[in-house]
This record gives sequence, C-alpha cells and structure tokens, in this order.
Amino acid sequence: MIEVSGLTKDYGTVVAVRDLSFSVGKGEIVGFLGPNGAGKSTTLRVLAGFLGATTGRVRIAGHDIAEAPLAARRALGYMPESAPLYPEMRVAEYLLFRARLKEVPGTKQKAAIGGAMDRAGVRHMAGTVIGHLSKGYRQRVALADALVSDPPLLILDEPTAGLDPNQIREVRALIKDLAGDRTVLLSTHILSEVEATCERAIVIDRGRLVAEGTIEELRARQNSSVVSVRVRDPKANAETAISGISGLSLRSVDADGADAGRRTLHVVLNPEIDTEAATEMLVRALTEAGIGIHALIPEQASLEQVFSELTAHEKATARISEPGSVR
Amino acid sequence: MNGFLAIYRREVLSLWVTPLAWVLLTVFLLLQGAIFYSIITHFASMAEVSVDTGPVQAYFGQESIFLLMTLLLVCPALSMRVFAEERRSGTIESLLTAPVTAASVVLGKYAALLTTYALIWLPTLLYVVILRKTGVVDWGVVASSYLGLMGIGAAYLSLGTLMSAMTKSQLVALLLTIFLEFGLFILGVGEYIFDPGVFRDVCAHVSMMGQMEDFSKGILDLRRVVFDGTVTALGLFVTTRVVDSWRWG
Repeated sequence: MIEVSGLTKDYGTVVAVRDLSFSVGKGEIVGFLGPNGAGKSTTLRVLAGFLGATTGRVRIAGHDIAEAPLAARRALGYMPESAPLYPEMRVAEYLLFRARLKEVPGTKQKAAIGGAMDRAGVRHMAGTVIGHLSKGYRQRVALADALVSDPPLLILDEPTAGLDPNQIREVRALIKDLAGDRTVLLSTHILSEVEATCERAIVIDRGRLVAEGTIEELRARQNSSVVSVRVRDPKANAETAISGISGLSLRSVDADGADAGRRTLHVVLNPEIDTEAATEMLVRALTEAGIGIHALIPEQASLEQVFSELTAHEKATARISEPGSVR
Repeated sequence: MNGFLAIYRREVLSLWVTPLAWVLLTVFLLLQGAIFYSIITHFASMAEVSVDTGPVQAYFGQESIFLLMTLLLVCPALSMRVFAEERRSGTIESLLTAPVTAASVVLGKYAALLTTYALIWLPTLLYVVILRKTGVVDWGVVASSYLGLMGIGAAYLSLGTLMSAMTKSQLVALLLTIFLEFGLFILGVGEYIFDPGVFRDVCAHVSMMGQMEDFSKGILDLRRVVFDGTVTALGLFVTTRVVDSWRWG
C-alpha cells in the first residue's frame, strides 16, 4: 500500500528525513514512532502529498506521488497534526465540502457524510459551527474528514494528541475497528498507543529509520535484560555486593514497606555477558553477602525501554557523524 | 472541475458568513452613496447639460477617481485573507492533500472573490434606476461602465490573490496589495504629468481612470480589455506557481 525508498527531505540546510525506506502492506495497522522532532510529521506530509521529497520515491496504492499525484491522493485519507479546520463552517457543511473535494459522487455524498460522522462520533454535532467545538470534537471532525471518501489507506498524524483518556480509548477502538481491508499508518510518540493499536511499528529518530518490525520483534531487540530479585536484606548490603561484579549493575531498589528487610532489586545484566552466567554470578554474590533470595523474575522488556535505547543510541551516533544536520 | 466548484462554493460561503464581506459592502455603499449624492447635487445646480455629460458618465467617467479610490481600499481587503489565512491556520494542508490541482484551488478562490466583488457592486444599479425616473439613461453606457469596473476589479483581485499567497499574514498581504495597486493607479496619473512621448503613452495605456473615462462613454477599447486580462492572467498564473512551490518549501 505504501512503498517508500530512499526518501530524503531537507529544508534548505536542515535535513528532516534521511534516506528512509520502508513499506506498509495492505490491511496493516502500522505505528510510526519517534521522539518529537524525529521527522514523523515531515514523512507523513510527504506521503500525503503536501510536501515534495527532495530525493527518493514514494508509491501510494501503486501510484508514484511525483508522477500521478492526484491518483495517489485519491487513495488516501489524511489527518494532519493538530487537525486544522475552517472555524466558520458547520460540521456537516465542512464534511460536504470535503466529500465534494474528494470526488465522492453526488448521490453518495449524503450517505458518506452520515457514515463518517457516525464512525467518528460527531453525528449529534452536525449543525454546530466548528469554531465552537472543543479540541476533542475538532479532532474527531478531522478524523471524519479523513474517512469521508472511504479511502483504502488512512494516514493519521498523532490522532490522539490533545484528547482526554476516554476519548483516546474511543479513537483507538475506532482505529482497530477500521482495520480489516483498510491500511492505517498512524504516528505517535506515545508507546502504549502502538502497543494498544498496531501490529507493527516503524521507529525513526533524527530522520532515520532505527527499527522496524512487529511489537514482539522490537521487544526482542532490547540489548540488555533486567531481572528483578526479591530478597531479605536486613543489613542493606546488596548494593555493595553487586557493585563488586563486572557485568551487573543495579538500576533501582524498591523497599517493600512494612518489613524493612524485604526489598526488590532491579539488576541490569550486561549484554556482553551471557545471561545465564550473569544470573549465576548474581545469585552467588547475593548468597555470599548473606542475603536471602525469595524470587528471581526476568523482567519483560517494555517497548518503552526498547524505544529509549534505540533512540538514545541513534542520538549519540548522529551527533558524532553529522553535527550540523540535526533537526 | 469538481475541485474548482467545491472550493468556489466554500469560499463564497466563507466570505458571506463571516463579517468581512458585509463590512466591506457597508463601507463601500456608504462611500459610493456619498460620491453619487455629491455628483447628483452638482448636476442639479447646473443650468444646462450637454448630451455627452450626465450623472452616469460623471460617476463612472470624469469623476471616477473617487470610485477608484474606494476600490483601492475594498479590493485588497477582499483578497487579503484568501491564502494567508489558510496558511496561518494550517487548513492549507487539508486542502492541498485532497485530489485537486493547484490551478483549481487558485481559480476556485479567485472566482469566489470576483463573484463577491460583483455582488458588492450590484446595489449601485439602484442609482441608475433612480436616475431613470428623472431622465433618460443610456443602458449601453451603463453596461460598458460596469464592464470596465469588472475589468479593473478582476486585475486588482488577481494581484491581491498573488500577494495573499506570498505571506502568512493578512495584514502584510493587505499592505502589499495596496502598495502595488496604488502604484499602478499612480502610474496612470502620469498621463496628466509627463510630456508627450512613449512614457506618457504607457501611462495613458495602463491608466484606470482613462479606462473608466473611455468605457463610460461607451468606447470599448480592446487594448484596455487586453491589459486587464493580461494582469489578471499573469497574477493567477504566478499564484498557481507559488502554490505549487509550497511543496518544496
């Protein structure tokens, strides 16, 4: 549905997106992840045809956006970041305008607008002037706009930004509901959003692709693993016991409250050392220090950790290689 | 074509549901009323009037400087928001990601401005109706006068559309347009200042006052029509290129 190869976009001297290649298949829901300023919006704007690529090719539903821009734009519904709308128009008026603009045939316009309003949950606001709507409703009107021509591909730029938790849940449910034969690419910097709605994620940072894969694949990419150890440690000498061993480091300690001797240690195992050997060393060190071990639980890597590791690493290399071209 | 019609309808709606068009209409009609009133009282005090000069010719022709001054205010104010506002509020992003060409966007918006301009002039037809009650009105002259006004409006609005596409600020667009159109107007005044020669001919050719004087006598000079048409087409062509260029910004 989307094929991007070698996409670069620069604004004069500033490179926003650098040699980005990825593809999204039909029917997939893909999260486009990255910290703020990573080039997410720029990439989506290029895909939607609002900005031209400096170099590289983009194909939307088989149409090259440089050679057949109208055919490519006809195949997609795009919701820009911050949902810009005309404040003087009524919701239904605006959607009728958008339906006409997107070449929805005259006889189907009414049904298309009604369907889009139902899906986005703005039917009861049809006669309201957009300028009087709250942020959450404006966001939904923009979503209805993206849906009005029933396109096979949806590109949503931060669809849940500025919504309250209930609205976020509704929008996520809607996106999941839209899946099936429709392809959705949504950008976000919120990881739980990707975990909640997407099957696959594309992570970019500083305009470059840093990781791509299913949520499980991304989790597996975590370099270092963490084990949490529940211990009885009345003398609180776990810190000294662990600090003496190379390959282990203590990330944090939780006291269990009621009983001062009970604590939970979160120990990071250095990726260069075999996990099993490191675990053995950890247990031996703790036992020798007179600490009683109650439980040893490998922590599941959260996407959060993977993300911060991936982007932190990328930041360091970007700074070394091209100091001037950071956006 | 679909895109053009959709944009045209939205722009007309947008102009008339916001106060802008109504404020302009009110100011415009107040000024025109004052001008027309003073011309009528002037003619009423005259003992005899020659065949070629009447209130209609004076209003559209000899005294057209007043009328053109109001256009220098109304046209830039009408066109200032057409692109500047879309870019400031970000709605341009939704507009340009719809399956429409830059030409449809520009022409749709421009046609809406021209329609509004024509609607603003519409009530002044009443002046002619009033005159008809007391004398004879040459409808051919009335028609050619309005044609001349539409020509000037078309050129002014085209330049205004271009200026609005050049900036995100409506105020800057307004000032740039006034500057440009006032410059064009002043160039026309050169006809009365310079000695006979090429430069004076150029000034006479581009003069809006000269145009109105010809048209108010029923003289449809093709050169004037071509000039208005050229300014309009050039303005719209460059605007289309500017809109296309945003993709590469």
